[in-house]
Amino acid sequence: RTMTDHKTSKEQKYDRQLRLWGDHGQEGLENAHVCLINATATGTEILKNLVLPGIGAFTIVDGHKVSGEDVGNNFFLTSSSIGKNRAQAATELLQELNSDVSGNFVEESPDKLLDNDPEFFHRFSLVIGVQLPESTCLRLGSVLWDAGVPFLVCRTYGLIGYMRLIVKEHTVIESHPDNALEDLRLDQPFTELKHHIESYDLDSMEKKDHSHTPWIIVVAKYLEKEGNNGTPEDEENFEEAIKNVNTALNPTKVPSATEDIFNAEQCENITSQSPSFWVMAHGVRDFVRNEGNGKLPVRGTIPDMIADSDKFIKLQNVYRDKAMKDAAVVSKHVEALLQSFGKPPESISEQEIKLFCKNAAFLRVVRCRSLAEEYSMDTFNKDEITSCMDSADSEMVLYLMLRSVDRFYQQHSRYPGVYNYQVEEDINKLKLCVNSLLQEYSLNVNVKDDYIHEFCKEAHCLSFVAGSAAQEAIKIITHQFVPFNNTFLYNAMSQTSATFQL
Amino acid sequence: MAKLVGPLRKELADSLSSCRVLVVGAGGIGCELLKNLVLTGFKNIEVIDLDTIDVSNLNRQFLFQKKHVGKSKAPVAKESVLRFCPSANITAYHDSIMNPDYNVEFFRNFQLVMNALDNRAARNHVNRMCLAADIPLIESGTAGYLGKVTVIRKGQTECYECQPKLTQKTFPGCTIRNTPSEPIHCIVWAKYLFNQLFGEEDADQEVSPDTADPEAAWNPADAAARATASNKDGDIKRVSTKEWARSTGYDPVKLFNKLFKDDIMYLLTMDKLWKKRKAPLPLDWTEIHHLEFSQEEACGTGLKDQQVLGVQGYAQLFHRSVETLRSQLIEKGEGAELVWDKDDPPAMDFVTAAANLRMNVFSMNMKSRFDVKSMAGNIIPAIATTNAVIAGLIVLEALKTLNSEFDQCRTIFLNKQPNPRKKLLVPCALDPPNPSCYVCASKPEVTVKLNVHKTIVQALQDKILKEKFGMVAPDVQIEDGKGTILISSEEGETEANNNKFLSDFGIRNGSRLQVDDFLQDYTLLVNLIHSEELEKDVEFEVVGDAPDKAPTPSVPEEGKNIANGNKDSAQPSTSSKAAAEDDDVLIVDSDEEPSSSTMEASPESSNRKRKHHGTDTDDAASKRKRLDQQPADDDEDIIALD
Repeated sequence: RTMTDHKTSKEQKYDRQLRLWGDHGQEGLENAHVCLINATATGTEILKNLVLPGIGAFTIVDGHKVSGEDVGNNFFLTSSSIGKNRAQAATELLQELNSDVSGNFVEESPDKLLDNDPEFFHRFSLVIGVQLPESTCLRLGSVLWDAGVPFLVCRTYGLIGYMRLIVKEHTVIESHPDNALEDLRLDQPFTELKHHIESYDLDSMEKKDHSHTPWIIVVAKYLEKEGNNGTPEDEENFEEAIKNVNTALNPTKVPSATEDIFNAEQCENITSQSPSFWVMAHGVRDFVRNEGNGKLPVRGTIPDMIADSDKFIKLQNVYRDKAMKDAAVVSKHVEALLQSFGKPPESISEQEIKLFCKNAAFLRVVRCRSLAEEYSMDTFNKDEITSCMDSADSEMVLYLMLRSVDRFYQQHSRYPGVYNYQVEEDINKLKLCVNSLLQEYSLNVNVKDDYIHEFCKEAHCLSFVAGSAAQEAIKIITHQFVPFNNTFLYNAMSQTSATFQL
Repeated sequence: MAKLVGPLRKELADSLSSCRVLVVGAGGIGCELLKNLVLTGFKNIEVIDLDTIDVSNLNRQFLFQKKHVGKSKAPVAKESVLRFCPSANITAYHDSIMNPDYNVEFFRNFQLVMNALDNRAARNHVNRMCLAADIPLIESGTAGYLGKVTVIRKGQTECYECQPKLTQKTFPGCTIRNTPSEPIHCIVWAKYLFNQLFGEEDADQEVSPDTADPEAAWNPADAAARATASNKDGDIKRVSTKEWARSTGYDPVKLFNKLFKDDIMYLLTMDKLWKKRKAPLPLDWTEIHHLEFSQEEACGTGLKDQQVLGVQGYAQLFHRSVETLRSQLIEKGEGAELVWDKDDPPAMDFVTAAANLRMNVFSMNMKSRFDVKSMAGNIIPAIATTNAVIAGLIVLEALKTLNSEFDQCRTIFLNKQPNPRKKLLVPCALDPPNPSCYVCASKPEVTVKLNVHKTIVQALQDKILKEKFGMVAPDVQIEDGKGTILISSEEGETEANNNKFLSDFGIRNGSRLQVDDFLQDYTLLVNLIHSEELEKDVEFEVVGDAPDKAPTPSVPEEGKNIANGNKDSAQPSTSSKAAAEDDDVLIVDSDEEPSSSTMEASPESSNRKRKHHGTDTDDAASKRKRLDQQPADDDEDIIALD
């Protein structure tokens, strides 16, 4: 079977998703190696949702043996696997879903691995930890934080879903913003655009030509004439010009988010270790500060409009050519930068730079707080917690309950409500945990007893959480779309969800 | 399994193992849903799907594997679920839910019906069946990252048809045949051409020049003198396109020259059309092969599908695909017909080539096979993650419904990213029924404007009652005091009426028709208004119905627009077994994407340009990127949501 055959069959299999994230997004997925800790029902569901779209490889880390309970709630384990190692059994069944994915497993608990070989985790593009005890979470969180590996913590508890993203810095070139404004430079036309506008003489045009003139030209001409108070023509393209004038005339400037990126320390101090995002950001910054005269590279696209093909294409080419030219200048800056610390210029491709320039106005850097910061008495986000808790049914209460449940686990080595005969007793014990947590962090908030009762019920898998977790994983792997920052809570009882910055 | 009982009350858990539920559809949502149902403790599940497994399903429909490609979805889904959960009692049907076997009695077997469908016709039908049987229905849909789940209960909530859906957008015949101004017009033309040549011929899918175009106001006798090229075409027009093609032995070169040279030269003689438009430029097979095209090699470095070939490239592709399709036709034997399917490579190649050659003739920038496929196939992107989320939500609504917590049920929208209030999920209270709904009101009634002298009974049946009002087998009685039967669903009773005009039966302004669909247990009273002033190419208008206009783009809930999910064309969009016209219905997703409002402009008066890509300087990566950024931006014509 030839390579091209293989490529075509992949193209067919992934057709419906290529339409969302493109082949470079798919390439990102195919180069990714994801680690799942604990092949619980939620864990395997998440992995299923990553294996189907075709991640490159996965490794399951799990020291547990398959129990009867696992088989009951986990679609990827069968009764014949009872007693086997859970990592292995799940790997075998998940592997069946997609032969293009390489599945691996390690029959070891994450704590053991952290004891013996913490660097084991450095190799992954993303680590997903499911139903991890608090202590493991904090330990692993700090190892991955230092190694710069994104860590997605997921848990389901009763009908509650929880996700926490922990990544020091996550860069996004293609943030896919909704309702982005066009980059037309009508307020500050570049030379080539000026010439192109001048080539039109609306007054001496024939009716047919006149009515097929792109509205961008119409607006530009109108702007040229000082004190113009003539009435616009009754032509469709003029109507279109009037409709679009407000969004078309946005002042050309560097958006503040992009400005922040330029001013970031990582952009300032480029080293041979700097990721290509920052090298390119530096290149664009150099462009803005020199050739660009304070403006970003031209994006090079224009919207649909009434016009004949010829006029439209000519106008489009004016913008496109300028965008190419600007990108070429940025390329030069990037090249110089790479050479200055002895890297070959081709280590960042022309194509990457073009993509970066085109998205220069939409760049995003997501910085999450570390788990250590979230847990420390000095740095925890008291304001967010107390202000949310002003309304007693905020999803924030679920967060506090989960923290209390962890406390319960620490003290009793089990979760509350596991045994029916202990429910009443557990409610009181859990209440103590809630109070001590609030006290320790000097949180003056009220947690309703209802929630404490609710949390003395059993854990349950949710396909919802698995779907959302996998979706966030894909965002992180492909570096497209902006992931949530940093805590996501879902309440299946009320069908509500919320994100918090903790 | 026992563990899952945890969060559920014991009575509810018990009722799960005894109740029967129906899952309609075993595709993206269906696979996830079946898994969730058995894991939640549902024991008696019936699943129905008429489709077979395609390679492009495998990125999300996890119950299917490569070895299953080509097999029926429902039985394979059942087998895969049983592997993991041998105790479940699953019945699988490889069939259309619209088959009369699945009558009201059938629906009454269930405590709950869950839709996991991809087309509006079937959704309408299941909605009516559930109303008739008084069974709760959970309706759902996904499109890319967006999704929605809602609950429908007779008399208590809105039904699926309470709010008018945007009617499907079709293009006027003369835009397709004479004056295409956008790539989509050429793509529709190419699909018609496929059916005319290789498939089931349909009088509504003519591809040759339309001499009756009122805009041309053209007198054939006058023009004949001027036209040098048209003398031969006069003959061609009298035989059908298929007969003519057959008589040439499907000679690709002859076909090429007829379609892209002779017919175009004929169009040029209709000179009024080209007063305000750029005139088309005919292509000649021999000539294009002698020209030096500098940009002839494929441009773009990405996947093969995303490259835009030059004219020569598409001419070659046309040649090759005609030959392949011809041999397929021969293989199938005398009188055989091919069915167009976007996932069938030669069929897709043919449409790509023919559409692009026509785009070239009409001076549009050509498109890659990937883009043409999006538009021709009404492709809605689909991914595993969204389906997983939605299927999880369906089960939660199902549990509340079965647990008599109906007041807790919600419509839930899944957004692409958290909204400004940081909500990814937006739950909304269920709306009460719309008292003037033409489906679930106690005495449903509509008013239709048409020309009684020009509308034939067949059109009333097919286009108005079946297509527009979603009936399967209508019986029509005129309320003229005599109870004249206009249409009977019994075969052989009223066929003689089919080609007569409504006025032939005394129908006039103010006439009332009583329409019954026995299967759907549904009666609709239709008031007719006679009108001579309908717009060109409009056969009828439902009074009070939103025309093909985009509502204001500022809709409060982001998710609301995408509502009913996947390829929501009015016809089932599943592959080859569906009706031949299935993919031809194009629906504009007007509220999602303001730029699609370009579609409202009457196509013959505007000369709009789509965003051009695929010109020599554009590379595949950036092209794809744009597509990602706003799928609807490039594919605005095809997103068939409402």
